[in-house]
Amino acid sequence: MTGNLHPISQYLRQTIKIFVDLGFDIFEGPEVDNEWYNFDSLNVPADHPARDVQDTFWLTNGNLLRTQTSNCQVRYAETRKPPIKAIFPGQIYRNEATDFKHETNIFQMEGLFIDKGVKVGHLFGTLKEFFQKIYGDDVEIRFRPSYFPFTEPSFEVDVKYNGKWLELLGCGMVHPKVLENMKIDPEIYSGFAFGLGIDRLVMLKYGIDDIRWLRSGDLRFLKQKQIKGVK
Amino acid sequence: MKVLYSWLKDHVDIDLSAEEIAEKLNLSGTAVEGIVKQIDPQVIVAQIKKIEPHPNADRLQVAQVFTGLEELQIVCGAPNIKENQKVPLAQIGTKLEDFEIKRAEIRGVESFGMMCSDRELGLSDDHAGIKILPDDWEVGKSLNEYLTGDSVLEIEITPNRGDCLSHLGVAREISVITGNKLKKPETIEFSAGDNLNLKIENKELYPNYVAIQIENVKIGESPEWLKSRLLAMGAKPINNVVDLTNYIMLDLGQPLHAFDAKKVVGGIIVREARQHESIETLDGVERKLTQKNLVIADHEKPIAIAGVMGGKNSEVDDQTNSIILEAAEFKPSSIRATSKMLNLSTEASYRFERGIDSSLVEYAAKKAASLIQDICGGKVVAIEKITTENEPIAIEVEYEKINNLLGLDLDSSQVDNILLSLGFEKAGKSVLVPSWRNDVSLWQDLTEEVGRIYGFDKIKHLSVETEKLLNNKTYFNKEIIKNLLIEEGLTETINYIFMSEQDIRIAGISSSDLPEVKNPIQKENKYLRNSLIPGLIKNAAKNPAFEPIAIFEIGKVFSEKSETSMLAILVAGKNAKSLIDSIKDKLKLESEITKISEEILGRFKIRKSQVFALELSIDKAIKNMGEPDLGQALEAPVQSFYYKKISKYPPLTRDFAFILPDSVLSSEIEETVFETSDKVLLVEIFDEFSSTNFGQNKKSVAFHVYFQDTKKALDEDEANQLSKNVIDNLTSKFDAKLRD
Repeated sequence: MTGNLHPISQYLRQTIKIFVDLGFDIFEGPEVDNEWYNFDSLNVPADHPARDVQDTFWLTNGNLLRTQTSNCQVRYAETRKPPIKAIFPGQIYRNEATDFKHETNIFQMEGLFIDKGVKVGHLFGTLKEFFQKIYGDDVEIRFRPSYFPFTEPSFEVDVKYNGKWLELLGCGMVHPKVLENMKIDPEIYSGFAFGLGIDRLVMLKYGIDDIRWLRSGDLRFLKQKQIKGVK
Repeated sequence: MKVLYSWLKDHVDIDLSAEEIAEKLNLSGTAVEGIVKQIDPQVIVAQIKKIEPHPNADRLQVAQVFTGLEELQIVCGAPNIKENQKVPLAQIGTKLEDFEIKRAEIRGVESFGMMCSDRELGLSDDHAGIKILPDDWEVGKSLNEYLTGDSVLEIEITPNRGDCLSHLGVAREISVITGNKLKKPETIEFSAGDNLNLKIENKELYPNYVAIQIENVKIGESPEWLKSRLLAMGAKPINNVVDLTNYIMLDLGQPLHAFDAKKVVGGIIVREARQHESIETLDGVERKLTQKNLVIADHEKPIAIAGVMGGKNSEVDDQTNSIILEAAEFKPSSIRATSKMLNLSTEASYRFERGIDSSLVEYAAKKAASLIQDICGGKVVAIEKITTENEPIAIEVEYEKINNLLGLDLDSSQVDNILLSLGFEKAGKSVLVPSWRNDVSLWQDLTEEVGRIYGFDKIKHLSVETEKLLNNKTYFNKEIIKNLLIEEGLTETINYIFMSEQDIRIAGISSSDLPEVKNPIQKENKYLRNSLIPGLIKNAAKNPAFEPIAIFEIGKVFSEKSETSMLAILVAGKNAKSLIDSIKDKLKLESEITKISEEILGRFKIRKSQVFALELSIDKAIKNMGEPDLGQALEAPVQSFYYKKISKYPPLTRDFAFILPDSVLSSEIEETVFETSDKVLLVEIFDEFSSTNFGQNKKSVAFHVYFQDTKKALDEDEANQLSKNVIDNLTSKFDAKLRD
């Protein structure tokens, strides 16, 4: 009898392997973190409207549950020297009511690359390569300018899926203030960062209609598998 | 935010359709999430077949109208209709501006829809009669296919682009990407005094304030054009003065407020609230204020919470004939703090928090005053303003760095032209940031502006060096543990890291051991877990149909000071003890095995003979593992996931054991069972062995099959029939024999 790897683990493996092959290190930061690493160091001060976008779980001791794997950016980079190249997979938390597409616990995977001469084209090229490996060489993707406080310029990445553009990922060039917080000189170095929402990609891949199945512990879900020859 | 396509044309000529503009806005950074045609698609072209007088009402007629599918009876009051004409028909369920079409009985005659006038369709003010359509329009088609009716664009404005929270702001973006010039605003001047007795206590917190008094206004309903624009934006018309203040906010992005001048005693003071001061806001709620809140006050009392909401005590009502119109700028962080503290977010506070255009405050007030004079009558008698001149921010244009980051080779005039089109002004080597762009202060910000207008799609993709920077072994070891456990037949689960009051009571955990969430919005999220085992027990409780249950989780547990990655395993069923013992030995896990007590099992309503669990830290679990084989760690699993919709009704399980030739693969058995019926959800082989007792080259294979029906609960008879089909299928396909 063979057991079953959780679909999130299956998807993460495939994703992580692509970046490991591109030479990225893996770092899993803390899930309970402080305001500095989760917000302030990423150019999101307390009175910033961008904080509203993320409903935060605050703990009674003043710490918080990270709202994004970006909390690893400064933590990882401040003790290292460029070139810095790592992915940060892990679970993040949003304090909101749950329904078929909203969850309090979700997986993200952040990527960070900092070196001399890193350009927007490196970001585009890396993500294109990633989506080609996931969805095949003829995948269509587009980069739309957007806004995140910790990147400048910032982008949303859309992937064409069944004829429709789907927003799958946020990314951008690391903001100079974030580089400074990493103790890296933004006049010498530049870099890119991106964040993937894993649960949503898992749902898309397998056609899962309700995000809550993923944490249901229901073996009717977890034990399902592709059977050879059965469509 | 919503913008109306035709309204944008007040500010800029647009030669493109709403869809084409949306596409261009999307690619330049203004995300258009949807386009809503103003006419409900349920309004169709229909043909009048017959008209008869209404039996009980002289002014009404009863028409038989053909929709392309059927004839409907429609009662109609307009006299202009004739037989064979084509007309717009709003079918039952259609939403017109502020009401929904329902089946109705009008003076004793049933009516199944409504024929519409121009005004009812929101096309113009014409309400003289039913709109008569050209003869060549096809019956049954949606009216939208013929009328280029207006479109509402739903736009997601990111927090940095407060300047786009208006028609002017979006039009400005359109002017840059289409090259069509923004229309110049008119000059508005009034001859009026300045005796409003305006005082500002702290110019840093409230840098700009303009007050205009208008006397002899007549409060009433707004004209149709104004109401229809507001309705299209989802704003409810109230009265002409209030509607115009809202209109200017949606048009120019400057929030405005009107006070009843007679209710303002002595003059306007802009100040911080006093301790213990309170005010009833326009929504009827009494709100306690602190010194951190800014208020607009008269000489006796606060009359508005600055930038958030007006006060009831100075509200414009039907009796009002003199108003004081306010346009102001407040410090964004102060408005945000007040809005959060009072848990009150308004269209005004939303814009103030994101920063407004200082240079537009006075113009917006004057534009509103001039519209009020035109529409509500009255005359501007006084204007008083207190303003702060802001030096524009200058940024040195780092052409080389901009090109380097973008990977482009633009010459300086190309960069300059883009910046000039966005409203930046040249000043030597630098550019001055326009007053509406509070988000731009660094050369990197200019880089984004240049990139998005030049077009990021023109940027060449580059590859990163693949030199390895790998040093995290724990991660790989964790994945290898997962592989080993799966080989042993365990299934991975992922549980919430939270526990509720009820969870900890049932699991017998003391709340004092658990980190607590201060602000959970769901009661499930009160505490953080300090063990993975309660989650696994809950999983076991959830799956009574499975025997055995063998599951594991790898995840974080928490204490007040730290978090730890843990591995926990739970096995439930007849041979649970021997199964968990063998797993522990194989993986050399240095951990005690716990038998879950009868009492706990009872509380979780678990009816399994034996339930055992173990838990240890990942660090401890991988201690005996040695160098990980990185290739193996990230291998795709043998069984890749597949999702088949799960019924809300419980599954029925049947066990089978067959004797078959050795050559039949277990995957072939699974495939055959699966293809028996779409009611097969899972096939699980749990035993497979060869023995000479079965004959030459034969083996025994035993498996569970889980049946389900997505529409109803399966009964025993159906399950028996399905079982019979499984047996028939296997025996006919392979040389298989059911074991006794």
